[in-house]
Amino acid sequence: MGVFLLLFIYPIGYGIYISFYDWGVLGSQGYVGLANYRELFDDEIFHRALKNTIVYTLGVVPAQMALGLFTALVVNAAIRGRTFFRAAFYFPSLTSSAAITAIAVFILSADGLLNAIVGGSRSWFGDSDTALYSIMALNAWTTSGTIMLFYLAGLQAIPTDVYEAAAIDSASRWRVFWKITFPLLKPSHFFVAVVSVIGALKVFDQAFIVSNGTGGPSYSTLTGVLYLYRTAFADIRFGYAAAIGVALFAIIFTITLVQRLLFGRPETA
Amino acid sequence: VTATPEPAAVVAEQLARGEDPTLVEIPRKPFHSRAGTLLVYLALLGLAFLYFTPFIWSFLTSLKDLPETTGFDLWPDNPDLQAYREVLTDFNFARFAANSFGLAATIAFFDVFLSSLGGYAFARLQFPGREVLFILVLSTLMIPDQLRLVPVFQMLTSFPLIHYNFVGTYEGYVLIKLVSAANLFFMRQYFLTIPKDFEEAARLDGAGFFKTYLRVMLPLAAPAVAAVAILSFEGAWNDFFWALVILGFGNPDHYTLPLGIAQFKFQYQTLWPQLMAASILATLPIAIIYIIFQRFFVAGVVSAGVKG
Repeated sequence: MGVFLLLFIYPIGYGIYISFYDWGVLGSQGYVGLANYRELFDDEIFHRALKNTIVYTLGVVPAQMALGLFTALVVNAAIRGRTFFRAAFYFPSLTSSAAITAIAVFILSADGLLNAIVGGSRSWFGDSDTALYSIMALNAWTTSGTIMLFYLAGLQAIPTDVYEAAAIDSASRWRVFWKITFPLLKPSHFFVAVVSVIGALKVFDQAFIVSNGTGGPSYSTLTGVLYLYRTAFADIRFGYAAAIGVALFAIIFTITLVQRLLFGRPETA
Repeated sequence: VTATPEPAAVVAEQLARGEDPTLVEIPRKPFHSRAGTLLVYLALLGLAFLYFTPFIWSFLTSLKDLPETTGFDLWPDNPDLQAYREVLTDFNFARFAANSFGLAATIAFFDVFLSSLGGYAFARLQFPGREVLFILVLSTLMIPDQLRLVPVFQMLTSFPLIHYNFVGTYEGYVLIKLVSAANLFFMRQYFLTIPKDFEEAARLDGAGFFKTYLRVMLPLAAPAVAAVAILSFEGAWNDFFWALVILGFGNPDHYTLPLGIAQFKFQYQTLWPQLMAASILATLPIAIIYIIFQRFFVAGVVSAGVKG
């Protein structure tokens, strides 16, 4: 238990403590009170990072949930080769973020496969108009595999007598899905939504790798966590970075709480 | 309307019964016509092919020479493993792969040991404050990594009490990834499904707490142990964030594969065959592990999804 205290509980307190200091490479340079938090309010780059993160979350979460649910229905259907299809749809989630991002950088490069197919010469990650959307598409695809597994487990937890009743009524496949399956998946929807939103708000790896750690071009791929990282390790301002961490945590926590209030505790349908 | 059971609990039971979680046969509506069936399969195979396209393309590229990569010939003119040879030797990826393997195996070992021991204690031992401690452990699942980034880094630069600088060391990295509350919770759930008779028999034989855990409970929980070990290994093998924070500033000889890939991309952006070879190297072992152990793998992923 000491491990948990040391690695999780203690750092929270320590992090909040650091956020009240001007903390550089040599440690504390003096207590500054709420100055770090006050600076956050007027920091336009931080606002830009927040905006990027919110755009990312609003786009990626519905996309990955829809794709995950669709592939889960496919794998759960009365077809042959379910093991194969599950492996195929899960594969992108299995790959390390660095490897899949490197592959995406290659395919979306100016003379890459995508441009060869659609015709064009845009560097998708190098253009500030498309860089963030390209990361969003990449991650909606790669994360949908895990979402699929969650939905699959949810689908399998639905008692079979429900479907038997529907078969007696000879309801159409479409009707069964919307009237029975979709509502009965409510606990899964809730759980998947919470996990997806938290995951999306923490996006970092792909943004770091495509932009070589800069969040560029012109801040278009700067996410909240990437800004936190840069503040700590590029600007060497640990106090300010800790304040960003606390702010991001507060945002994630509030959104999770709101989700919980909106949809209620996942309970039996 | 029938109550829907908790998916995570269903998965634990399926795993205990030796079934493949998420693929258990349930009665479903078959497709009516033969033409319709064919169409469905064609569409699905097309979709699966689309999913594999990036990997196939990157694999084919890894067999090409650099000048070929600007063309779009599917098949390389002279397929060879030159790019693999180069990344493994000239670009130090053999070292990165060894680091990734060693670190992931070490972390999986500690994670299995600590999460099963803790899970067993929470499942069986009666001690004061157990509920409070358990909630405290579970609440760590809610703490996002970004809140921990700065304090953990500061803590590692000068570790409390021993004042040792762990940044850039293997030990520091292992320490941070030591155990996860999700795995502890999963182990506890699994231990709860095991009847108490086994332990009572062991106690009559004079076995103590630790011996019962090691000789009786751990073997009985083998499927759960396998799931935790595999998932923990995969998590460490693929991890980028903490590897970057803790190992990224130190000696490049300590890099893991994901760090090596990111570094290579920064420095030699367009050496595509080599970059793709490195990516395939990082992907292949996990793909093989998945194919062999998918039942445990899937159980681990799904049950890691417990509520905080």
